[in-house]
Amino acid sequence: MKTFAELNFPGRLVAVEGLDGSGKSTQIYLLKRWLELQGLKVYFSEWNSSELVKAATSKGKKRELLTPTTFSLIHATDFADRYERHLVPLMRAGYLVLCDRYIFTAFARDVVRGCPPEWVRGLYDFAALPDLTFFFKADLGVSLQRILDGRPQLKYFEAGMDLRLSSDPYESFRIFQGRMLEQYLAMSTEFNFYVLDANQLVERQQATVRELVAQKLNLANFRRAERPAPRQSSRPPKTVGALPRTAKVEEAFE
Amino acid sequence: MKHLPQNHIVIPRRTPRRFYGHGIPKVDLERLAGRLIVVEGADGSGRSTQIAMLVQWLEGSGHATTQVGLKRSSLVSEELEQAQEGNILSRTTLSLFYATDCADQLENIILPALKAGFIVLADRYIYTLMARDMVRGMDEAWLKNLYGIALEPDAVFYLNVPPEELVQRSFAKNTALDYWESGMDLGLSRDMFDSFMKYQTTMQKTFRRLQATYGFTIVDGNRSADAINAELCKKISAVLAGK
Repeated sequence: MKTFAELNFPGRLVAVEGLDGSGKSTQIYLLKRWLELQGLKVYFSEWNSSELVKAATSKGKKRELLTPTTFSLIHATDFADRYERHLVPLMRAGYLVLCDRYIFTAFARDVVRGCPPEWVRGLYDFAALPDLTFFFKADLGVSLQRILDGRPQLKYFEAGMDLRLSSDPYESFRIFQGRMLEQYLAMSTEFNFYVLDANQLVERQQATVRELVAQKLNLANFRRAERPAPRQSSRPPKTVGALPRTAKVEEAFE
Repeated sequence: MKHLPQNHIVIPRRTPRRFYGHGIPKVDLERLAGRLIVVEGADGSGRSTQIAMLVQWLEGSGHATTQVGLKRSSLVSEELEQAQEGNILSRTTLSLFYATDCADQLENIILPALKAGFIVLADRYIYTLMARDMVRGMDEAWLKNLYGIALEPDAVFYLNVPPEELVQRSFAKNTALDYWESGMDLGLSRDMFDSFMKYQTTMQKTFRRLQATYGFTIVDGNRSADAINAELCKKISAVLAGK
């Protein structure tokens, strides 16, 4: 597997990973604001957000229809939809793409649910690796507290209740998230995670994030093109052309 | 051919089972007492007619049956239908969506039915899905890993009907050719008839390639329904006898 940079995409992809409640969404939001305010081309994409697939996922979750295999496949479908329709075209258009969770979430989660690791990795091998991945490492107690501060109860799948680890949601959450953490840490070196101490203050973490992003990515490359002032107001606006159609498929059939 | 109910009921012999790849976690293969029979073939190849005849025969012979088919899962069938109508999903996505549908039926219908000792008749299985994706340029190794979740059937019959005949059957039934069965998404030809012929020819070639790997039985579908049925019954009897 190669990064987008290694595959010569003009865009760059930054991903954040971490346990639920590790504060990663806050951090990537602040990163996005910082980049936007500099006038850079930024796109933000969230795990499990493709419209069509989302309907099936939430139905499956509500009715508890999902098994480890279908849970894994439906999330892979969601990811593929976002990857093919949004991420790849944006990366080709030279965007800075920020992802709240990437394939590593599946690698950790599906394996904890009992799916074979090679099978899960195989599912996602159509995807390029991020150019920069932050892992927010928080103590379990801190994560649990952050989630509970936001809402009164833990969600069924978030607590890993489907795994029947414990009938107590809090105990189940602790065991489930603990296993997730093991999986994440085990792949940290392999995938070049930049591990951040998520027990720190928001500002301190954000300072590190911004510093690293500025250091690793040449931000000047992602500035929006200055729109030239229209010389003649009568000229119709130029439409953005579609990518040229490839003749590949047709050739294969000749 | 009329099958008279039999007084003598054949008790199916147990044969070893396996998944194609990694399989579904925590499934005890020893407990799957039933049989999985797959009928593959293009639209208009006579699959549903044959399956209906097989159900009659099997139930008459004292076997309990269940039927499954593509896009019938309670989890994603509606969403898949919607996606196909709008033609909005790209290839990997559609492929994974179909795999989800397949896995859902495998875990919630096929495996429980096999545990209960039923004969499961599948109106198409992973081979159609793989062939469609291969024709659309998807990586074969990726597909093999993806469908490593699938249980190896006891028998797979591919009803082979030449595209010239398929097109005639299609028009005898409907007034127009189906968009997907004509492979119109591939841009092979703007002429739907040409596209249908090219697409079905390529699909047949792909099936023959898959046959080499998965070893299913190719059945001449260009015969009377009764003649085909007689062949299927004979082969399935052999499967039930553990041969």
